[in-house]
Amino acid sequence: MHYPRYYRQKRLVLPFLLSAYFPATRIFFSFASKILLSLFLTDCFLLSAKSPMLDSDLHDLSDDADYAASQQQGSASVMLCNDSTKQSSSSSDQDGAEIVYSKDNVAIHPTQFAISGRLKLIKQGSSLFMTWIPYKGHNSDNGLSDKDRNLYTIRAVPFTDIRSIRRHTPALGWQYIIVVLSSGLAYPPLYFYSGGVKEFLATIKQHVLLVRSAEDANVFLVNDFQSTLQRTLSSLELPRAVPLACGPSNMSESTLKENQERNDSGVNNGRVSVPQFHGRPRHKVHDPARDLSIQVLEKFSLVTKFARETTSQLFRENQTNGFSANERRTHIQTNLDPPKASSVAEKNSDENSANSDSREFDELSLVWGKPRQPPLGSEEWITFLDSEGRVTNSEALRKRIFYGGLDHKLRNEVWGLLLGYYPYDSTYAEREFLKSVKKSEYETIKNQWQSISSAQAKRFTKFRERKGLIEKDVVRTDRSITFYEGDDNPNVNVLRDILLTYSFYNFDLGYCQGMSDLLSPILFVIDDESEAFWCFVALMERLGPNFNRDQNGMHSQLFALSKLVEMLDSPLHNYFKQRDCLNYFFCFRWILIQFKREFEFEKTLRLWEVLWTHYPSEHLHLYVCVAVLKRFRSKIMGEEMDFDSLLKFINELSGHIDLDATLRDAEALCICAGEEGAARIPPGTPPSLPVDDGSFYIQQDDEVL
Amino acid sequence: MSYAYLFKYIIIGDTGVGKSCLLLQFTDKRFQPVHDLTIGVEFGARMITIDNKPIKLQIWDTAGQESFRSITRSYYRGAAGALLVYDITRRETFNHLASWLEDARQHANANMTIMLIGNKCDLAHRRAVSTEEGEQFAKEHGLIFMEASAKTAQNVEEAFIKTAATIYKKIQDGLFDVSNESYGIKVGYGGIPGPSGGRDGPSAAGRGCCN
Repeated sequence: MHYPRYYRQKRLVLPFLLSAYFPATRIFFSFASKILLSLFLTDCFLLSAKSPMLDSDLHDLSDDADYAASQQQGSASVMLCNDSTKQSSSSSDQDGAEIVYSKDNVAIHPTQFAISGRLKLIKQGSSLFMTWIPYKGHNSDNGLSDKDRNLYTIRAVPFTDIRSIRRHTPALGWQYIIVVLSSGLAYPPLYFYSGGVKEFLATIKQHVLLVRSAEDANVFLVNDFQSTLQRTLSSLELPRAVPLACGPSNMSESTLKENQERNDSGVNNGRVSVPQFHGRPRHKVHDPARDLSIQVLEKFSLVTKFARETTSQLFRENQTNGFSANERRTHIQTNLDPPKASSVAEKNSDENSANSDSREFDELSLVWGKPRQPPLGSEEWITFLDSEGRVTNSEALRKRIFYGGLDHKLRNEVWGLLLGYYPYDSTYAEREFLKSVKKSEYETIKNQWQSISSAQAKRFTKFRERKGLIEKDVVRTDRSITFYEGDDNPNVNVLRDILLTYSFYNFDLGYCQGMSDLLSPILFVIDDESEAFWCFVALMERLGPNFNRDQNGMHSQLFALSKLVEMLDSPLHNYFKQRDCLNYFFCFRWILIQFKREFEFEKTLRLWEVLWTHYPSEHLHLYVCVAVLKRFRSKIMGEEMDFDSLLKFINELSGHIDLDATLRDAEALCICAGEEGAARIPPGTPPSLPVDDGSFYIQQDDEVL
Repeated sequence: MSYAYLFKYIIIGDTGVGKSCLLLQFTDKRFQPVHDLTIGVEFGARMITIDNKPIKLQIWDTAGQESFRSITRSYYRGAAGALLVYDITRRETFNHLASWLEDARQHANANMTIMLIGNKCDLAHRRAVSTEEGEQFAKEHGLIFMEASAKTAQNVEEAFIKTAATIYKKIQDGLFDVSNESYGIKVGYGGIPGPSGGRDGPSAAGRGCCN
């Protein structure tokens, strides 16, 4: 086969970028946007265009006139001939890239100003791509920079990545479409100033499978697995569980059967499966979850402006925060490493290999949240205080701690504020005063149980049992940490005293296993019995319901988690539903003790102070759950884990979760979910303060310790 | 290592009776006096051989505190065997057996094999429950019974293996439909017996090869 050199080179670039970019994206976010991601990548490419490493990576292309031209246009990710100047040469080229549809005056309205451009459908081999390139120079009067234009450019998105297209025909105004990606996000609405929506859809229909949705005649569902590349990528993404909704033309008998089975089982990887094609009626006429996710996604396309601003802001902040373009580029380089998990499906579910696979998945993920910062240190801490020790801007402080945590030396001073034990606007002197008042108050409560004589205790079963339980548990809590290790360690006794005192402070709640896990890091950090007690009290104000006898605090959080997964990853939700795993009990330990058993001790301290900032949300811990589940969703669904294997898998993730990456994912998910996410978490769900104070601790059974 | 069968076990009983220590003694052959308290559930696995067949035991070690019962109940699903543990030095852990048993009967499958273990038998000087009482309870409720010590390893191996042998016999007697995983049994390849700590063999794929 003879290809001009120019195309040979492009063909090298295309699979690399696609394989590096798309599968990882899908593995990671189904909801967090590919748009955001592409904005992110574009920006990074722009910012790092002069970086030596990137130059050398692409050196082979640098003498290519067309490549240079396209790079001038701001795109390093030239996947196809999307440069309008090359249209004539590309439309009938020998390597098969052919423009099958081209429409001028297709615009987006991201701001009050429209950006007009050209929409194209390009066929290369058996794959169809869509591009939308804004015109150059036409928008100079509306304040849009080249960079802005680049943010919106749609570069060669393959139809295998598109879930659906919704057509809107308003009574007044132009027809427009919203393209929803299978990764979850939608592009901004594309307005056809000169008509052509029908032709656009008709053209797509000629090349890929396009089915009108049964639920909504204006929604067209896209499926295309004719591309070998995409099929490979999909199998990478969801080993063995991908419901390949292939077109009938290239589907073998066995594939067809397999697909039927898979569709029957309801597994859905984010693509819309089309059981009709297998000659079966849709067994589900209406799937509210999917409808909802389409609605949410479309709504999302309308907030692209927000996304764009956030992204720009991220980069502005990064620059001012001293994150060099080089660091950022290196980061992206890492994320663009070709996937290594291709053989995951073949591996047996060996307990040992499970974790190494998990780590590979970790490396595959793409992160979008803001880069983590170094911990807040003493010098910077002072800048948050006025001369008398008041925190002048608590929100800025919480934000700073959210992004970087605290230097360990500062924790002792700051945790009390974060937990709400000390008011932010208290002075040094007021805090000292509170400390002494609280110390005597603590001693009073402590004295209540200390004054129980052994003779009295004999007639006080509940006390004996409670004390016995606490004594049994404190010697089983974090004994491998230096602070608690060894025989007769006095800190273990302090743990016992605080827990027993707490069980008198809040007699109804009493003591429950898991509390020692929550107290242990606090005592380690605060290292003062009374202060640690009051910090623990403040924490239990929010987490107490976790330990209610009827488990209502836990159930409300697990319920909220299921609602968030339903919203942020409906295929995973459907998978859990089908496997009867919607109780989310496999996340029980994560939530009960705030991931204490999932990370090393030091990492737990970091995570907790981040959670306690309540910065993007009071319920960030639930988004952390979603982030971890999403991170491993391919494995979960690919290995078709049932409740038992899922529980085991999640348990064994302990020690194998990358905290920083997970926090970034969680932040991004939280931002993506926005108010819609918050609305799915019922009021009073811990760690929110209880709505109906007091009623939470009423125990129904006197047997409780 | 591949296995002929995989049995799911669940260990239940009051907090602090030594459930996790029994598991650790069985899987790692060691005793750890300070074992982190169990939150939710933890897992252990070991290969054993019965009738020259490699059998993998996948053991679920649950949290004992009353508050977690509603969660613990979900772990009974699909367990082939249960070790119900009490502490011979703490009478109340024996007194609570009936309520544990009720949970097990209610939430596990009817054919689940239950082994009653009186743990900490090395602490005979502090004994609060006699061996006869244990035997009597087991007899009344149709359980297998043993006293054991996770500390000295006395009867630990025996307890796990005897439970497996009972389950195995039930399979031979045709009491189980082994293709139905709700009984807590998976059929694997009838491979060569090997050391402990083997991996999961393919389950569904190997179903056809065992009679």
